[in-house]
Amino acid sequence: MSDKITRRDFLKIAGAGAAVSAVLTGCGPMSRYIVRRPYTEMPEYNQTGLNTYYASTCRECAAGCGIIVRTKEGRAITIEGNPQHPLNRGRLCARGITAQQGLYNPDRVIGPIFQARGAAGRQAKTTWDETIPLVSDALKSPADQVAFLMGTAPDHLYDLVNELTTAIGAPAPLRYSALASFEGRTTLQEAANRTFGKPALPYFDLANAEVVFSFGANFLETWLSPVSYSAAYGDMRQARPTRRGYLVAFEPRQSLTGGNADEWIPIKPGSEGLVALALARLVAEARGEAPSAAARSVDPTAVAEAAGIEPAKLAELARLFASSEHSLAIPGGGAIGQHQGLAIAQAILQLNVVVNNLGMIGGVFLTTSEQPATTLTEVSNLVQKMNNSQVKVLFIHGTNPVFELPKVLGFAEALAKVPLVISFATFPDETAMFSDYILPDHSPLESFGYQRLLAAADRPVYSSIQPVVAPLYDTRATADVLLAAAAAAGKPLPYTDEVDFVQQKIVPLISAGGFYSAPEIQTFWSRWLQYGGWWVTEQGLDADISAASGSIAAFNDPAALEEDKQFYLVVYPTQLGDGAGANRPWLQEMPDPMTTLTWNTWVEINPETADKLGIHDDDVVRVTTPFGAVEASVYRYPAIRPDTIAIPFGQGHTALGRWAEGRGANPAALLPAAVNEAGDLAFSDVTASIALTGKRRPLARVENRGGVYGEH
Amino acid sequence: MAAETKLFGKLKTAEQEHEDPKEQLMFDPRPREELNRMVMEMMTTTTKKFWLWAIGLGVGVVVLLFGAWGYMISTGMWVTGLRRPIFWGVFIVTFVFWIGISHAGTFVSAILRVFKAEFRRPFTRAAELMTTFGLAAGALYPLIHLGRVWVFYFMIPYPNARWLWVNFRSPLVWDLLAITTYLLSSTIYLYLPLVPDLAMARDRTTGIRHSAYKILALGWRGTEAEWFRLRKAIQIFAFAIIPVMFSVHTIVAWDFAVSQVAGWHSTIFGPYFIIGAILSGVSAVVTILYILRSTLKHMDYFLRPEHFDALGKLILVFSMAWAYFFFNDYLLGWYGGEAAVRQILTLHATGPAAWVWYLMLICNMAVPWLTLWNRKIRRTPWLMFIITLTINVGMFAERYTIVPLTLGHQRTPFDWGVYTPQPVEISIVLGTFCLFTFLYLITSRLIPMVPVWEVQEGQVAHTLRKIGKAEVPTVTELD
Amino acid sequence: MAEVSIAEKWGLVVDQDRCTGCNACVVACSMENNVPFTGEDNVAFGRGTYWIYNKRMWEGEYPRVAPAFQPVMCQQCGSAPCEPVCPTFAAVHSEEEQINLQVYIRCIGTRYCANNCPYHARQFNFQDPDIPEPMNSYLNPDVTVRSKGVMEKCTFCVQRIVGGRQTASAEDRPLRDGEVTPACVAACPSGALVFGDLSDPNSRVSQMAQNERQYKLMDELGTKPKVTYLKGGGRNGG
Repeated sequence: MSDKITRRDFLKIAGAGAAVSAVLTGCGPMSRYIVRRPYTEMPEYNQTGLNTYYASTCRECAAGCGIIVRTKEGRAITIEGNPQHPLNRGRLCARGITAQQGLYNPDRVIGPIFQARGAAGRQAKTTWDETIPLVSDALKSPADQVAFLMGTAPDHLYDLVNELTTAIGAPAPLRYSALASFEGRTTLQEAANRTFGKPALPYFDLANAEVVFSFGANFLETWLSPVSYSAAYGDMRQARPTRRGYLVAFEPRQSLTGGNADEWIPIKPGSEGLVALALARLVAEARGEAPSAAARSVDPTAVAEAAGIEPAKLAELARLFASSEHSLAIPGGGAIGQHQGLAIAQAILQLNVVVNNLGMIGGVFLTTSEQPATTLTEVSNLVQKMNNSQVKVLFIHGTNPVFELPKVLGFAEALAKVPLVISFATFPDETAMFSDYILPDHSPLESFGYQRLLAAADRPVYSSIQPVVAPLYDTRATADVLLAAAAAAGKPLPYTDEVDFVQQKIVPLISAGGFYSAPEIQTFWSRWLQYGGWWVTEQGLDADISAASGSIAAFNDPAALEEDKQFYLVVYPTQLGDGAGANRPWLQEMPDPMTTLTWNTWVEINPETADKLGIHDDDVVRVTTPFGAVEASVYRYPAIRPDTIAIPFGQGHTALGRWAEGRGANPAALLPAAVNEAGDLAFSDVTASIALTGKRRPLARVENRGGVYGEH
Repeated sequence: MAAETKLFGKLKTAEQEHEDPKEQLMFDPRPREELNRMVMEMMTTTTKKFWLWAIGLGVGVVVLLFGAWGYMISTGMWVTGLRRPIFWGVFIVTFVFWIGISHAGTFVSAILRVFKAEFRRPFTRAAELMTTFGLAAGALYPLIHLGRVWVFYFMIPYPNARWLWVNFRSPLVWDLLAITTYLLSSTIYLYLPLVPDLAMARDRTTGIRHSAYKILALGWRGTEAEWFRLRKAIQIFAFAIIPVMFSVHTIVAWDFAVSQVAGWHSTIFGPYFIIGAILSGVSAVVTILYILRSTLKHMDYFLRPEHFDALGKLILVFSMAWAYFFFNDYLLGWYGGEAAVRQILTLHATGPAAWVWYLMLICNMAVPWLTLWNRKIRRTPWLMFIITLTINVGMFAERYTIVPLTLGHQRTPFDWGVYTPQPVEISIVLGTFCLFTFLYLITSRLIPMVPVWEVQEGQVAHTLRKIGKAEVPTVTELD
Repeated sequence: MAEVSIAEKWGLVVDQDRCTGCNACVVACSMENNVPFTGEDNVAFGRGTYWIYNKRMWEGEYPRVAPAFQPVMCQQCGSAPCEPVCPTFAAVHSEEEQINLQVYIRCIGTRYCANNCPYHARQFNFQDPDIPEPMNSYLNPDVTVRSKGVMEKCTFCVQRIVGGRQTASAEDRPLRDGEVTPACVAACPSGALVFGDLSDPNSRVSQMAQNERQYKLMDELGTKPKVTYLKGGGRNGG
């Protein structure tokens, strides 16, 4: 196999090579069953030199953007946003654009594998015929000893597994992703429940807002649905002829959102709730209304000083927020991933109540209510059960807990106590390496399915998933595996296969008032695939919101630090998402927007602090928290509080293929297993210390240090 | 103050010392046959050391130059230190350096010939050889630095079935034409005065050498008509090659000057480069003469301190002229006030590679200015060897400052870069030094290194005549 | 080059007030145009190949510090510095699209064009792309995979322009405004990039290029870029 592709090779592949290749589909991928036929029999939908486009859904994060994949000669070439899709309207972020690098990744699991636990090299290929009975036996284990752990996307597989667990009487599947933790999804929903009395993820109408206060929500890069929020951000800035929206970001480390904000207020981590309350008080007073009891209890000047803001600045911002017609406050990520995160989120949401933008243009709405992810508390309970040997069979799909969960939680150790671990991973990731069987699912671009519930969609949407290429390898849809195994286990579900399941599930949509309909399912199905899903034409948000009487717990002052010895630690996700993006070479090569760094992990530290500690660029430092330590090179980052350091999440893989392995460090080792009141990971009120290791490892930066910082 | 007076005192005594005209080659004639014998011996004497050097350099050429180049061709330019935004590095630096060296021969030989500077006679050949071999080494670089050297012929204008033509607006095409013209004309210019010497060698050798010289001497018999035509041809070429020489380095300068690059687009680059080339070329001649003098048999008869003295004066003058152009370039660039240019000029002196800039100033100005005013130093060959070597290091640093250091700090600071030559590049650069030396070494045993007929001619023309009580040196106009 | 009057004159507008600096354009461009990833060492060395990349400079001092994002791609100069210096006409001006093209097969790798580009938009292939099978399957057959030793740069996705023109001509109609979008424009999540025909005064791109916030990169060099930037930021930035 030639690792390099020359132009001549490429022409061969593009032209004559395709004709003799037999791995490509001989049948339209949208057809129900995939048949392999030689490419000499050219199917009518696919002519050499002509593009064929397929609408599907991006599975790189849980946002669920609609995509259009351009294929040529049976190969997925480029991915763009689906212009009709109500979530992303034709736009797409870097993660979605590089999805082919997952599909065509040379490190994929190419067939079912049995392996002696954890030991590389002792793998053995197996066959689906051997493994289906195995899965079926596993399903026959005592019901309460079967556990499913899945990714956070609310997709068809989740629905199917839900039905399956109900049928066999097992506990409902758990869904975990580090990204959901960093986003604070559960906390956000619980805060909305307490503030508005409805357990639903709030929808923030950023596009029509005029003054936006973001508390740690990096909605331009990773938070909830970065593409749709980026689009809204653009509109907030420039779509109105009269007024340019104004964005203020309160966060200790300037994220991409903070960088784009008109004002970045580097407040002390842990002071967000107090600042929100102080703002609520000032805003209410400026509007001539009576502040709430909680707001009255804080003294704005004292809060400003504790948070590191000039009191005058706080007052000015409050006046700005109070005077604007469409003000909006967004709680996110770093601010609410703290011990008091739920109360902080409530306090921030309360700001919206004060300016009364609930259900108004440029304000807060509510989306459909459903639990967006499993809380860390439930995951911890599972780990507990595993440790107590109460779990006999663990199925893992779409998540990589060994990598993503805080190391201190001890998932990897607990995994060793589970007699049978079956992973459905597409890639040999860390968790898959710890499994007994890897029964690879298709890559998302080879699969059928749907995704409901898009966190930032302004209407009910079902986004459809369909194969754009025939499966490259001997992989099998996990839904099919589970259906077959359930049938073999004597607990058949009423579906013949995955496609049948999806079709039955969408039958109710035919008459649900979407933008198209059909007399029967087959016609509906073809349109469903063609449009990339189903949605309604009108905005369909829950505007019927009112403030509930949820009281806010009192806040503690931010943790005190020993100066220049202890630092607030910010761990933030990047374009690599929950770490699954680390094996996409172009995501690795893409410069991090704020630092222009690539291919590695770095520690951001304020240059002033670094000077005091004698730390230079590219020095390797050891960052230690009570929970663990990692080593990484230093990047002197001018936009971070002097008492704060930050580490990006997503690198430090010990598996996952050639582009991810052995690169950088995994800050999951630094995180606590503590949770906030809503059960979400409290990751952002950790203090860390740093120490020079004496090593140097230059970071791959696109910027020139001499030119940008004047240092050589 | 005392020290200064003392120095002057020394100088005065040196000047006042009566110089015996016999110290000068022209007034120390030897019989014709004796000179011929000396030159033939010079050409045919080889020592063990010579062969060791020849083999060493030959291996150097094969390994350092062609080996490294072949490796670079097969794996790609990533083995170089080039990076955005510095797309030209030490290859172009060395290219300009060799083209500069090649100015020596023409300058020393043609200009001194035209101006009838008599001290030129014994070393015109040595200088002309430098031109040809310097060009041979330099002309490799436009090929070496290509990303796809295997299609270098795309640059040559020739009718082809693809209807493709070259872009005559590109300075690189001008370069190609100028360098080929210069290479051809300087080779002819080397060959013309060589013919009588080849005939002399033909008459004194046997066997294969005899046959080779017979062909190369073109049947030279030494008739009056032949001498007349040869003199005429040399005269014409000497005049004609001077503008070619000036144009070549001007065009090399235009590679930079016509671009949009801040710090390059300077109108003074043409003459600036020429002066720099002559400075480095004449210096290189001195360097080579010292080596020839100390390694070739009988060479110390032909090359005497007077020659080093005369060339030393030239070098001093050109060093000052170079300094004038250098400051002109900087002063006007600074006065022009373009932010990017100012930044570059500042960064040359303060940036990460400022030592190169200071090295240039020290080697090109401080060293010659502090030493070459002294006649004693000028007349001490080994000192001159060191000084001229230093000047060429300085000139290399000058080109290095102009090429990668200027490219590294252009208008967008985000894209700045620092260039460090990588082993393969250094190897290739050393390889061309090997190539030059190797060619020179081999050729020194193949052709008469001293234009013996010119020396004889000069010795005949120079006489000491008694006027009253004094003996006065006189020269007879030959042409 | 002589001024040629041609119907099409493609142009791009970059609204820096909308641009978030997210770099989706960088990746979209690379996937569309077969731009090879080069690996950590090469990026560290300054050889990462990006046809478009964000030049992020810091403005101000802590705590009033903010990144100034400026996505820079080939500016498709009307009077391009890269064109006259190429000895082999590998950097040429396309008469039809009025953009700068790079003819890879004609390029011999003198890299003069790259030195002469004040925007540093040109990239050099220091080595052959290293894309292990089967990852080469996603390479776009409409775009050449460049071998080592040639220059490359943004083409305004000329393959899409030509494709769009062919579709329009097959349907016997003029090209619609917004019908052709380069990969970066199609991806841009915040809608900061707008592409279209500048010769049509009613096109969206023409209208936006008239905006009072508009400026051109290094206008003083007289390169006549076809990319217009709209200033961003500031309390009342437009």
